[in-house]
Amino acid sequence: MFCQTQHYATAPAPERIEVFVNDKSLLVDPGITVLQACAMAGVEIPRFCYHDRLSVAGNCRMCLVEVERSIKPVASCAMPVMKGMKIKTDSPMTRKAREGVMEFLLVNHPLDCPICDQGGECDLQDQSMAFGSDRSRFVDNRFSGKRAVEDKNVGPLVKTIMTRCIHCTRCIRFASEVAGVDDLGTTGRGSDMQVGTYVEKMFKSELSGNVVDLCPVGALTSKPYAFTARPWELRKTDSVDVMDAVGSNIVVNTRSGEVMRILPRMNEDINEEWISDKTRYSYDGLKRQRLTKPMVKDDKGNLTPCTWEEALVEVAQKLTQANGNEVAAVAGGFADAESLVAMKDLLNKFDSEGLYTEEGFPSDGSGTDFRSSYIMNSTIAGIEDADVLLIVGANPRYEAPLVNARIRKGWMHNDLQVGLVGTEVDLSYNYEHLGDTAATLKEIASGKHAFSKVLANAERPMILVGNTILQGHEGAAVHEVVADMSHKLKSSKKVEKDWKVLNVLHRVASQVAALDIGYKPGVNKMTEKPKLLFLLGADAGLVKREDLPKDCFVVYQGHHGDQGAHMADVILPGAAYTEKTATYVNTEGRAQQTRRAVTPPVYARDDWKIIRALSEGSKAQSLKQPLQPSILELKDFYMTDSISRASQTMAKCVNAVQTMK
Amino acid sequence: MSYFLNAIRTELNAIKLAGGWKASFYRILRETNLRTGSLVGTDKYGNKYFENNAYFMSRNRFVVYPYVDRFDFDASQVPAEWHRWLHYVTDHPPTIVPPEERKFLQPHETNKTGTKLEYVPYSTTRPKIEEWQPPRTIDEPNTWIYPASCQLCTDLL
Repeated sequence: MFCQTQHYATAPAPERIEVFVNDKSLLVDPGITVLQACAMAGVEIPRFCYHDRLSVAGNCRMCLVEVERSIKPVASCAMPVMKGMKIKTDSPMTRKAREGVMEFLLVNHPLDCPICDQGGECDLQDQSMAFGSDRSRFVDNRFSGKRAVEDKNVGPLVKTIMTRCIHCTRCIRFASEVAGVDDLGTTGRGSDMQVGTYVEKMFKSELSGNVVDLCPVGALTSKPYAFTARPWELRKTDSVDVMDAVGSNIVVNTRSGEVMRILPRMNEDINEEWISDKTRYSYDGLKRQRLTKPMVKDDKGNLTPCTWEEALVEVAQKLTQANGNEVAAVAGGFADAESLVAMKDLLNKFDSEGLYTEEGFPSDGSGTDFRSSYIMNSTIAGIEDADVLLIVGANPRYEAPLVNARIRKGWMHNDLQVGLVGTEVDLSYNYEHLGDTAATLKEIASGKHAFSKVLANAERPMILVGNTILQGHEGAAVHEVVADMSHKLKSSKKVEKDWKVLNVLHRVASQVAALDIGYKPGVNKMTEKPKLLFLLGADAGLVKREDLPKDCFVVYQGHHGDQGAHMADVILPGAAYTEKTATYVNTEGRAQQTRRAVTPPVYARDDWKIIRALSEGSKAQSLKQPLQPSILELKDFYMTDSISRASQTMAKCVNAVQTMK
Repeated sequence: MSYFLNAIRTELNAIKLAGGWKASFYRILRETNLRTGSLVGTDKYGNKYFENNAYFMSRNRFVVYPYVDRFDFDASQVPAEWHRWLHYVTDHPPTIVPPEERKFLQPHETNKTGTKLEYVPYSTTRPKIEEWQPPRTIDEPNTWIYPASCQLCTDLL
């Protein structure tokens, strides 16, 4: 996919140099570090402060290795390779250095592993087992005690036990480099050094949960997950997030049918190894306000629990009675592709085309006929290659935190120039605010604006349009201008042929799949006066009871009792994304699958299965016709085509059948 | 000959004491025997206690339940003070030596198994999923809250 369009201006490759790792010869690019060279040779160097995606700090000293003709061991994470370097990763000098460093770390680290949430997945535990000394010289336990540091309150997500901190500064570097907030820092030095926020305040970042994963010890742990489970008890299921349209890859950790926590899964094309806080911490919402039993309204108008059969028969009867133009379905943000297809098939069987998504998109012109007009064409990873980015009416920082993290990465490392048309917001990086309204956009498109030149000179320009703007009443106009601009930029000579300019940033996980399948975007475009309305997880509150005909029968299928369930006549309990194997298409148009980590609660079932079961009970009008073959009787058999109709013998046969009983 | 006549007379007398042929039939149906004896006392439930030392030990003291329903009788209907006489803990029935009044003594209760008041074990673990309660248009008690019979669960929640 993307690799074809990845074009870096490549200078002729510099000559590779030879290094020796434990006397094994290895050819490496100059400029890489000793630690990376060792990793290439298959030797893992212990480290605490070094992290692939963060700048090199070199302050933990755990990665010390011996290099021949060097008096002292060197910190391999910060030392570039040199020609003919002879690295010894398992020499007595290296081992002594590691054991010494580990001993110093443990002198000031509390021995509270049995009550520490990091226990079992702690780098310090693992590395002290693998690389530490096999005996302790620490005898001061009862006399003066170990170093103790006051805990900091940095908000409801990250729990700090600062005594455990080993000052690797990963969290500080993450906050300032990836998250773009300079909230964290150090005070004091030596054994008085403390990591913190200087004054007590919240670590205000949409990516703050990632410091929990980064922390090599248990100094920063997850507050909601505190003391709930141990890593070895958890069952891990690879899945995909649906909280936004990015489709971050996640691992759902469950224990005895309960989601205990959600962790990121590496995917270089989407989320690298970060996830947003909503992805990570909203799992407790999966245990509250759940629809667990089918419900129908009783004669008093109260929703009462019933059996699946009763609920399905009730809906199926309504469906059989209704005409095609009286049936409609509205898909919400969590609907998976399977149930979207099943719902479309069901309604099409009843001659209905009333399939809508809650989230809108302009349908003027070609509308959603071309996939490239509603997806993020240059992909999330492609942001790193762009040189100019124009954001239109979006706040990627909160609509898609990981897209914003990519933009920030491009801004930091590739001098990505960012312009924004729309409300001025803090995006965690510097950008040029061009204007608030679409009028500015028009100016840019016409070439009158100063930014038009920047765009015109760009080799890999990107335009990122937020779907919030596109579904507004000016959406069609904005889309037209943006599409026009993208087309012009794309056809410019400076831009490479397969580089895509137009990108749409969606807000909900189901939207791209729904548009791919053929749902019409936007409930405000509904032409039907529905007597039967299916809400497939439509909870945004855009469909209102007062807008519907009075006799409209509303069926809500979903997993939470929210706005949709409140207006429903029948409730069919479905499964949430951790409870079903389902396909979601992210804003780039990448299809990914969630995996079932736990079973749906009580009587809730997979969404597509509910719709399929419903189809069983309802008879489509076309099924009312008897399945009649063309020839029923013998008299019809003789004359069926021009030859047999011309044949006198055949005519006699017909006559004979009719007269000779 | 007179032995047989005596036996028949005893039996006929027992039938008469039991309250006639029909009552005797049901007594035998329920208890598989028809014992006679001298009435020792009656408790507040209407159980009648008899003693007949012609029977051997362990059969000589017995209770005749009031039989509200045809088969509604249970050993737990015997209150504690009569239980101790019936089971030879003492030879003095409560009619002769009334039980000592103590303020901690609970009133006697029969076994509730098989009735609506029976004890049903319940889970004390917190439910993993909290359900959505649909709004009520008409004010009426919500009868289907998750652990309907479980006070402890609702307390925990």
